[in-house]
Amino acid sequence: MPTRPARPTTRAAGARPARPVEPRPSEQQRSEDDPRIMLDREISADLYEPIPPYPTRTEREGEFYTRGDGEMFINIGPHHPATHGVLRLVLKLSGEQIVDVDPVLGYLHRGVEKICENSDYYHVIDQVDPLEYVSSLFQEWAAVLSFEKLMDVEVPRRAEYIRVLSGELLRIASHTLYIGFLALDLGGLTPILYSFIERDEIVEMLAALTGARMLFNYFRIGGVNGDLNHEFMSRLGDWMSRAAKQTEADAALLNENEIFVRRTRGVGVLDRATALRFGVTGGNLRAAGVPFDIRRAHPYSIYPELDFNIPTRDEGDSLARYLIRVDEVRESIKIIDQCLHNMPDGPVMAKLPRLLRPRPGRAWGACEGPRGMLGVYTISDGSDQPFRFRIHDPSFMNLETVPTLLPGNLLADTMTIVASLDPVLGGIDK
Amino acid sequence: MDRNLKRRLEARLDAQIQGPIRQRHDQTEIRIKPGDAPDVLRTVHDSVDLRFEILADLAGVDTGAEMQVVYHLWSETSPDWLRIIVDGISRDDPRCPSATFLWTGAEWLEREAYDMFGIIFEGNRDLRRIFMPPDYTSFPLRKDFLLPDDAARSPGEGVRHIERPYGPAVVADDPAAGVRRAPAS
Repeated sequence: MPTRPARPTTRAAGARPARPVEPRPSEQQRSEDDPRIMLDREISADLYEPIPPYPTRTEREGEFYTRGDGEMFINIGPHHPATHGVLRLVLKLSGEQIVDVDPVLGYLHRGVEKICENSDYYHVIDQVDPLEYVSSLFQEWAAVLSFEKLMDVEVPRRAEYIRVLSGELLRIASHTLYIGFLALDLGGLTPILYSFIERDEIVEMLAALTGARMLFNYFRIGGVNGDLNHEFMSRLGDWMSRAAKQTEADAALLNENEIFVRRTRGVGVLDRATALRFGVTGGNLRAAGVPFDIRRAHPYSIYPELDFNIPTRDEGDSLARYLIRVDEVRESIKIIDQCLHNMPDGPVMAKLPRLLRPRPGRAWGACEGPRGMLGVYTISDGSDQPFRFRIHDPSFMNLETVPTLLPGNLLADTMTIVASLDPVLGGIDK
Repeated sequence: MDRNLKRRLEARLDAQIQGPIRQRHDQTEIRIKPGDAPDVLRTVHDSVDLRFEILADLAGVDTGAEMQVVYHLWSETSPDWLRIIVDGISRDDPRCPSATFLWTGAEWLEREAYDMFGIIFEGNRDLRRIFMPPDYTSFPLRKDFLLPDDAARSPGEGVRHIERPYGPAVVADDPAAGVRRAPAS
């Protein structure tokens, strides 16, 4: 048992002491954050120490860690349920208002780019899987798009249809999870339960198709790993018969909730010009009024043949970012319907050698994931491993706006804004 | 391939483009010198017939002989991706002008390129490590940073510490040892 310093003797209930008890300097010290508070030495060793223990490295870091009058630091994370992973935010507060934010990344850094540069081309696909673990098919998709351009591989049409079909299913799963977690971060427990029902049905049917529930490792250079099977089709048919109705019901749970709408409307407004300057993509950019979606802006796969809309909104606040996701789920259901009606017959893999040694060259492949543009830039030097494998993750760019969006808001709105940007830390930290 | 884009780029940037404009699949590629980077980026961003407003990616590359900074840009005026390769950056003292004056979002991308390659972006006011811890002393994606278990290529040396914390960079004894090099192209 650690010994604790002796407390002042207990007094009769309700009685105030005649004069404040002076602390003995050997046992107590003033708090860094609030000089009026005295802390036990033993406790203060475990308290959050806001100033980094090394000299400030940049102008911006020095500016952030200089405390103005009445300002204090608060640390959120890295282990915090509302940061969607291991994100750490150092907030500078004045009262309850946020003055400045410094996100600290890297708690989940695994060096995937380096690992990929030391694996062969087939192996890369399962290395990139755990990046965006909520929607891992899209990260595979970006990698195979880049490799297929590098090697001039033509993908069979049936494989393209299966890619779009499974991808759009996963987009719905990711968006329903986003909607549930956004509500959960605002204190609403119910929507996450319904979200997980939807997500679970989708990952179960994808498990029937690919063999895994989360890290699918399904796309291959030149096609997909396996053809559609009976269990997948029967589960999908089951789900499609009520998907549209169910998603409307789930959306109504939040759209008509006054607390939810009042806590998100007008909070964290990201306007069009700022979003473009920050390189934000995906639903967050479309909520700011820019109709930029790689599926239409730079079409790949069979998307040019499909009929769907790109929903946009002009408000750019957290509510708009949520409503964009709801609209995208509707569009994805339309796409799945068209895929099922037009699915061609044929092979699902192109014929490729076992050992891939692409000609020296460079290729950039990008696809539209649920969070925005996922890109992969590959350089080949003629060997069986990529010479350079660069992964561009949309969450990284979306999270970068947090230091711009947060200041001026209340501490409680941190959760709204971060959750509405939909970061996945597995992708951000690579 | 967008032949029209090639003509427009030649008309606007003839003096700055090094070598031929390469086009393959849906990508148009130009090479420039580090000093020209701010001018070229501003031209492709602002010209009415180019308007590459979306910064899709900023990547550092270590070719084994030199460093590169690679920009991927998107514009609604062209069906192609525009790739701008800033090459000829020295490996011993890699420096490149920052793109933050056009895209604020480049700040974190440049921090990442600095963290992984040690490229100093002049003009970025927050150039510190982003993924690796602040007292880390090496640049992991450089080609002379060898994975200890990479039996295929490593001469068994493992991590080479080329940067002291808070001090000037230490030049490695033999910077070319065991370095995988990109083909000349």
